[in-house]
Amino acid sequence: MHKPHRGTIYVEDAKVLAHEAFAGEQYIMRVQAPRCAEKAQPGSFAHLQCDPMLPMRRPLSIMRTDPRAGWVEFLYKAVGEGTRLLSRRKLGETISVMGPIGKPFQPHGDRPLTLLLGGGVGIPPMVFLASSLRSNPVYQPLVIMGSEVPFPFKPRPSEILVPGMPEGVIATMPLLEDWGVACRLTSGAGFPGCHEGYVTDLARLWLDTLSEEKRRQVEIFACGPHPMLAACARLAEQYRIPCQVSLEEFMACAVGGCAGCVVEVKTDQGPAMKRVCVDGPVFDAKTVF
Amino acid sequence: MTAEHSRRDPLAIDFCGMDFATPLVLLSGCVGFGEEYTRVAGFSNRDVGAVCLKGTTGQARLGNLPHRVYETPMGMLNAIGLQNPGVDKVVDEILPTLDFDETRFIANVSGSTIEEYIAVTRRFDDSPVDAIEINISCPNVKEGGVAFGNDPDMSARVVAACRQVTQKPLITKLSPNQTDIAENARRCIEAGTDAFAVINTLMGMAIDAESREAVIGNNQGGLSGPAIKPIALLKVHQVYQVARPHGVPIIGQGGVTSPSDALEFLIAGASAVGVGTALFYDPLICKKINQGIRDYLDRHGLASVGQLTGSLTLNTPRACG
Repeated sequence: MHKPHRGTIYVEDAKVLAHEAFAGEQYIMRVQAPRCAEKAQPGSFAHLQCDPMLPMRRPLSIMRTDPRAGWVEFLYKAVGEGTRLLSRRKLGETISVMGPIGKPFQPHGDRPLTLLLGGGVGIPPMVFLASSLRSNPVYQPLVIMGSEVPFPFKPRPSEILVPGMPEGVIATMPLLEDWGVACRLTSGAGFPGCHEGYVTDLARLWLDTLSEEKRRQVEIFACGPHPMLAACARLAEQYRIPCQVSLEEFMACAVGGCAGCVVEVKTDQGPAMKRVCVDGPVFDAKTVF
Repeated sequence: MTAEHSRRDPLAIDFCGMDFATPLVLLSGCVGFGEEYTRVAGFSNRDVGAVCLKGTTGQARLGNLPHRVYETPMGMLNAIGLQNPGVDKVVDEILPTLDFDETRFIANVSGSTIEEYIAVTRRFDDSPVDAIEINISCPNVKEGGVAFGNDPDMSARVVAACRQVTQKPLITKLSPNQTDIAENARRCIEAGTDAFAVINTLMGMAIDAESREAVIGNNQGGLSGPAIKPIALLKVHQVYQVARPHGVPIIGQGGVTSPSDALEFLIAGASAVGVGTALFYDPLICKKINQGIRDYLDRHGLASVGQLTGSLTLNTPRACG
């Protein structure tokens, strides 16, 4: 009996290679996990044991990988006991990393104008997706990131022209700029070069400058807090644009065994409870909002 | 020792006529319908004696609203609410995808009424499952479940009704949320159970002080993990006193995360040992527990893990002074 799902998630004792703190209790952590790095795709997450004293794992979405060097990078915010303990893990220490897990984003080639919306700790999968899209000449990604606390990187003025952006909205993530990926930032906190408002506000301004024909080439990918994703879903519906969202929920097993991390999803057969871990974390926005 | 005995793997046991490769049993509700954990490289259903499938009811159930799981000190709360696709779909679509060469698969039956328990048990009786576990101890549903399991009369009625419709080994999963688990066990033996699973989760609650809200969508949930192990050990010990004279074996379960934990349950009176929450900590834990038991048997010069069952030496309690 052929069972393609078998043996697709790896448990690795991953050494912490880098662990940097940013404002607002945000952290970027790089760990050596070669099998996870090799197989991860944009949208994948890993299930990490934050501390031996807190044995339940925590799911973190993957921001970057280097399959050749064998590392995986996460951006997370210390919001509870688990992530707070994780933030204290030091270079050289070992963390049990289980991954990659979940259904990845699936960009459709007939919609090359990919609009990536990341809010707060929803930024990491957008960075991963951007890194994948940039290597395919079909796609012209535009990334819009929002944060109410200082971004976990030093924004800099972009030299990549994005038609339709309001004047003065020039700040970008240096990593994406170096990759040649167009990116703009938004915040309600008045950070220089950022659009004052939510990611969906800036996305709407940009969409309004597109012709009807161009809009038919747009596909939205989003990750962030629930209200932001709901706003993304509304935006997508209004402009009749397909939208994939990455969700999160408290999680126990992360392999589909416990049905602990479900979300309610609309299906042709009526409502269904789908597992964020293996049925997601990426869902079609119109099925969840 | 006979030649046959000496060839036998020291970890293998006979449980109600079933050959278990090891005394470990993966617990219902933790491993979906048997295939989910095989996603993890290095995990194998062959590492355990049996896999208990997700609780199954007559009709499909959506289960409870989120949040369904939450970590607590040395444990976790869950309130899944018996989400399952209904027994017909389980038997017709899921069981045919399982590899019965790998391990023994045990169905887990639940319901809101005795009639539902009977209907689901009957359907599983006409299926390839190796045994049927009656879940009269689910704390997370409004009807049935623990409402039956905490009442010895109702427990016995459910067991007797299921006994009527199956010849497969019948395992009754007992609730720790009751006054006298031993009395309940005695009644279930009279009603025809072949074995026990001891214990299901303990009812508990988590509160977010900042928002003053209950964390779990169902408000209350079942507590599992190392926090409940001492309670589970005592319950196994108590049920063993009642079950031993009748030759009714026990799957001891509740907070097993190490070889030592598993050995303690065997010594307390269990013939097999359930592993659930520990899988969430370490999906490859069963290999490690098996090896630890093997090492222990070697160290203590025991030929079979079965020799440990009920080998507990009790103290003679007396008041000091």
